Amino acid sequence: MVISKKISKFKSDSQPLSTGVRATTDNERQTTDPKKWLSIDFERVDYHEAWVLQEKLIMARRAGILQNDIVLFLEHPPVFTLGRRGGRECMLVSQDFLDKAGIPIIQVERGGNITYHGPGQQVAYPIVDLQAARIKVVDFVSGLEDVMLRTAQNWGIAAERNDANRGIWVGPQKMGSIGIAVRRGISFHGLALNVRTDLRPFSWIQPCGLQDVGMTSMQQESAQTLSMNQVRVVLKIQFEAVFGIKFIQKKLADLGSILESLTLTDSV
Amino acid sequence: MKELNELNFPDDVRYAESHEWARLEGDKLKVGISDYAQDQLGDIVFVELPEVGDTFGKGEEFGTVESVKAVSELYMPVAGEVVAINDTLEDAPEKVNNSPYSDGWMLEIKADDASKIGDLMDNNVYLNSLKG
Repeated sequence: MVISKKISKFKSDSQPLSTGVRATTDNERQTTDPKKWLSIDFERVDYHEAWVLQEKLIMARRAGILQNDIVLFLEHPPVFTLGRRGGRECMLVSQDFLDKAGIPIIQVERGGNITYHGPGQQVAYPIVDLQAARIKVVDFVSGLEDVMLRTAQNWGIAAERNDANRGIWVGPQKMGSIGIAVRRGISFHGLALNVRTDLRPFSWIQPCGLQDVGMTSMQQESAQTLSMNQVRVVLKIQFEAVFGIKFIQKKLADLGSILESLTLTDSV
Repeated sequence: MKELNELNFPDDVRYAESHEWARLEGDKLKVGISDYAQDQLGDIVFVELPEVGDTFGKGEEFGTVESVKAVSELYMPVAGEVVAINDTLEDAPEKVNNSPYSDGWMLEIKADDASKIGDLMDNNVYLNSLKG
């Protein structure tokens, strides 16, 4: 129902990239301050550490100790993650093979099936109080797709939505994925955009129920050498445009007392 | 996506802030999610429910729904023991989208105190909370 309409709407628009989740006109945007979200930059963060951080941020957000929504920008070392409903059966290589490659498999609570994260993939984890902001889950997921589509477009890559699956696609190849969870109305997990990812580990898994699906990266599609930092900068700009917000750059240390027990290393 | 006035909020159920509903049926309570909840989640592809016999306090997570790559937690509107689950949702999760207050019910519970259903919102208060 809703989804197919939504997708076709985005596809058929003369301007295929919507102006944002919030129905805010340009005039309104000039006269009202955009909502402030925090952002924290990391370089490479262990999957489990990032997960623990998100859980703490949700607790802090819910308790009102953290008064802004926040997005974590990072890359992960190589890891396979399984969605809430699993996906281990979609693993095409043996545990022994993975052990030798040193790549763990982690079961998480996000939506979607098995996926791979690794260096060269830009990950963004928005911890956003959707209920307080009155953002519908379907719109939020669409918005995250929009953020990735616009970012790809910045490098002249004509990515698009695909009725078969969420995320962003170039033809039959997937370039960016989405998997979120919602706890007490607050989102976590998020998006993963292949910028210059080594795509081989994706060939070790079978995207369940989807045949003839491959993975691609922005670098592969644009035939340019891309800078992770530049892509991150553009990704942030597109977050601001799509969700009608403004980021305030923070360091993890700024969240001090809330998260003092954390051992994450802030890269900025 | 529907506008609020296109959504259905029957007056024979009571609503929780987290968008579950509960309806008194005999001495048991039926539990599901509201039309607003199913609409904002989008097409539901999977419903994860607890086991019969599990007990939960009010506000505790009893399961999840997965829609459009999003897994959302579900919370108990009234404390109690699960006496039945709607296992037809395993093969037909879309029932939650299509008929959230009838075929798309999720749990039947024996409430610790069924009168606690009175702590939940009636349809007018709930609708106003959505407008607010």
